[in-house]
Amino acid sequence: MTAAACGGGGGAPAASGADDGPVTLRFYWWGSDSRHQYTQQLIEQYQAANPGVTIEAEFSGFDDYWDRLATATAGGDAPDVMQQDTRYVAEYAERGALADLTEFMPGVIDTAQLDEPMLKTGQLDGTSYAIPTGVNAFALLANPKLFADTGVAVPDDTTWTWDQMVQVAGQVSAAGGGQVFGVQDLGFNETSLEIFARQRGEALFDESGDVGFTRQTVVDWWNTMLALRDSGGTSPPSISVESQAGGVDGSLTANGRAALGSWWTNQLPAISSATGQDMELLRWPGESPQAGMYLKPAMFWSISSRSEHPEAAAKFIDYLINSPEAAELALSDRGLPINTALREQIVPKLKPADQRSAAFVEEITPSLAEPPGLPPQGAGEVQRILQQLHEQVLFDQLTVDEAADRFMSELDAATA
Amino acid sequence: MTELSDETRTRAAAPTHPPPREVAPTTRSGRRRPRLPQVGERKVAFLFLAPWFLGLALITVGPILGSLYLSFTDYSLLAPPEWTGLDNYARMVADPRFYQSLEVTFIYVFISVPLQLAFALALALALDKGLRGLAIYRSVYYLPSLLGASVAVAVLWRQMFGAEGLVNAALENLGFTDLPGWVSDPDYALGTIIILNVWTFGSPMVIFLAGLRQIPQMYYEAAAIDGAGALRRFASITLPLLSPIIFFNLVLQLIGSFQSFTQAFVISSGRGSPADSTLFYTLYLYLRGFGNFDMGYASALAWVLLLIVGVLTAANFLVSRFWVFYGDD
Repeated sequence: MTAAACGGGGGAPAASGADDGPVTLRFYWWGSDSRHQYTQQLIEQYQAANPGVTIEAEFSGFDDYWDRLATATAGGDAPDVMQQDTRYVAEYAERGALADLTEFMPGVIDTAQLDEPMLKTGQLDGTSYAIPTGVNAFALLANPKLFADTGVAVPDDTTWTWDQMVQVAGQVSAAGGGQVFGVQDLGFNETSLEIFARQRGEALFDESGDVGFTRQTVVDWWNTMLALRDSGGTSPPSISVESQAGGVDGSLTANGRAALGSWWTNQLPAISSATGQDMELLRWPGESPQAGMYLKPAMFWSISSRSEHPEAAAKFIDYLINSPEAAELALSDRGLPINTALREQIVPKLKPADQRSAAFVEEITPSLAEPPGLPPQGAGEVQRILQQLHEQVLFDQLTVDEAADRFMSELDAATA
Repeated sequence: MTELSDETRTRAAAPTHPPPREVAPTTRSGRRRPRLPQVGERKVAFLFLAPWFLGLALITVGPILGSLYLSFTDYSLLAPPEWTGLDNYARMVADPRFYQSLEVTFIYVFISVPLQLAFALALALALDKGLRGLAIYRSVYYLPSLLGASVAVAVLWRQMFGAEGLVNAALENLGFTDLPGWVSDPDYALGTIIILNVWTFGSPMVIFLAGLRQIPQMYYEAAAIDGAGALRRFASITLPLLSPIIFFNLVLQLIGSFQSFTQAFVISSGRGSPADSTLFYTLYLYLRGFGNFDMGYASALAWVLLLIVGVLTAANFLVSRFWVFYGDD
């Protein structure tokens, strides 16, 4: 399926020690075809400007990526430079698989223009293991045509509450006749719950990496989800499960059957082109008085702790995040650049849909709280636990109270 | 190739050895006694077996023993394994998802294997009637076996059996209402996967067909002359004479079904969805290993599965003495 041959399997160059001789770096990322194409161009550009450096590209889809990265790391064959994700940085860093980047900052990796709070999201106990590529926000996408067709007004997202969302979604569904629903089920992504908890001054995990919310919050969360189900605001449970399994393309939102759906801001163009509508970005309900939404690092760059050329790798990362030429090619595909000067520079060059999501991020930024730090080891499990319990709640196999109890105890066990 | 076989032939015919006989000696029961291989032949045999044997040692036995060691360690893949003794096995006893995955897998195996074999036998009997174009039918029915375990077919099934899929659309036309999502409702998802497995009845069917061809026609003729009906002929001739083949299929399918992975992985979105109702044992093993970086635990799970399949297969062989008929005893 993936065209990525194990490029440099065991092909590490003869240990040249210093980084002034010819250097070969292996570089691994996940993504779509368009990302693969422009990333290859980035590599060619960098090689042309840095004779003596050869970069071997390896890439795959998101799901394959983690199996392959884990196996490569186990075999002592991890790529020098890799793309990382919030869920996994702690897993890798705490087991010594990632290089400490602090020593290259700001010497090799220039941090002058980088978004300071964002930079912290790649740190564990003050040590940088990962540099964010760019930022995203988890927001709601509204399909204006569906609102117009069903005669329901698009809500004012600066003031609306969760109760109003239940009401609005129910109205859309009622007018949608079983084909169109108010909102695509929100309960499959732990980021939704994170926002819900942060609106109450809590968080999924606190600073020390322990569970950071109360049981009552989870109870209220699932009661809200059930209110949406029972008002008809979300689709019947079976359809919700299938929509979730269908990924972006198979979702109710992309198929123009849900007036609202929760997505990352950089998914706006994909969903807009799928629906053929200029999707609108909305804040989550309940954002006032206390905001729960936050900017999230879209993904990270990390260096393997086994890399023979960490400095050369750091230099390449510096190029990826700080070079104007690199930004011109990448635009907002890996999130709006973390380099704030470059962010401003590329916005006018974005496609209209991307410009709208950039403007939205710009608009909500002042009201946002600081992003949460790296989740603890085992955080990759949170989504799995949440999804499984959510399905049991949707199909009435568990009461909300039972599900909340199990969520708290399973989460404790997973992150212990 | 030819040189080697020429050489063996000359050696076999060398005067130090008894000349080859026209007819091999037979035992009392009428079976041929196997001729003992000559030394030179044995060497050649080992030479030819060497690549396979190396593969077995390096690719199969090595990793199996490796996983036995890992099952006694805490191994995250990212850091070296640490010896923890029986800890993984102790955790398993207290792991509700381990029991859930066992339950799902046992239900799956004990329903789908008998159903699939019955289906395969029924079709083999029908096809054995000397139909015209048998080869075509055989291929058509065998096709699902080739496709069934593929990702594409599982994806197709997920679409067809969805809440708004083709199957429900057809059923609605027949007047049914309130239909569930066959792959997305926890009460039905496992049943759908069982049907998908039964559908891949082709390979046992082909083996049954070959077995049916081995049954001498004269038994049926004799029985028909004695006035035995079709059912009687089936019960008294076909079933006993086919029993070794049924047993063979049963053992193979049982072992294979315990290891089912692809269908569950695709239909369940790779996580046993909905609500862990399709959490197959091997899927859980994979999730622990690669999802949770818990390779030690996953290895322990693999060994418990090996134990379960081993015990069941042994039991199968023991019980087979009472119902499998080998003709010559």
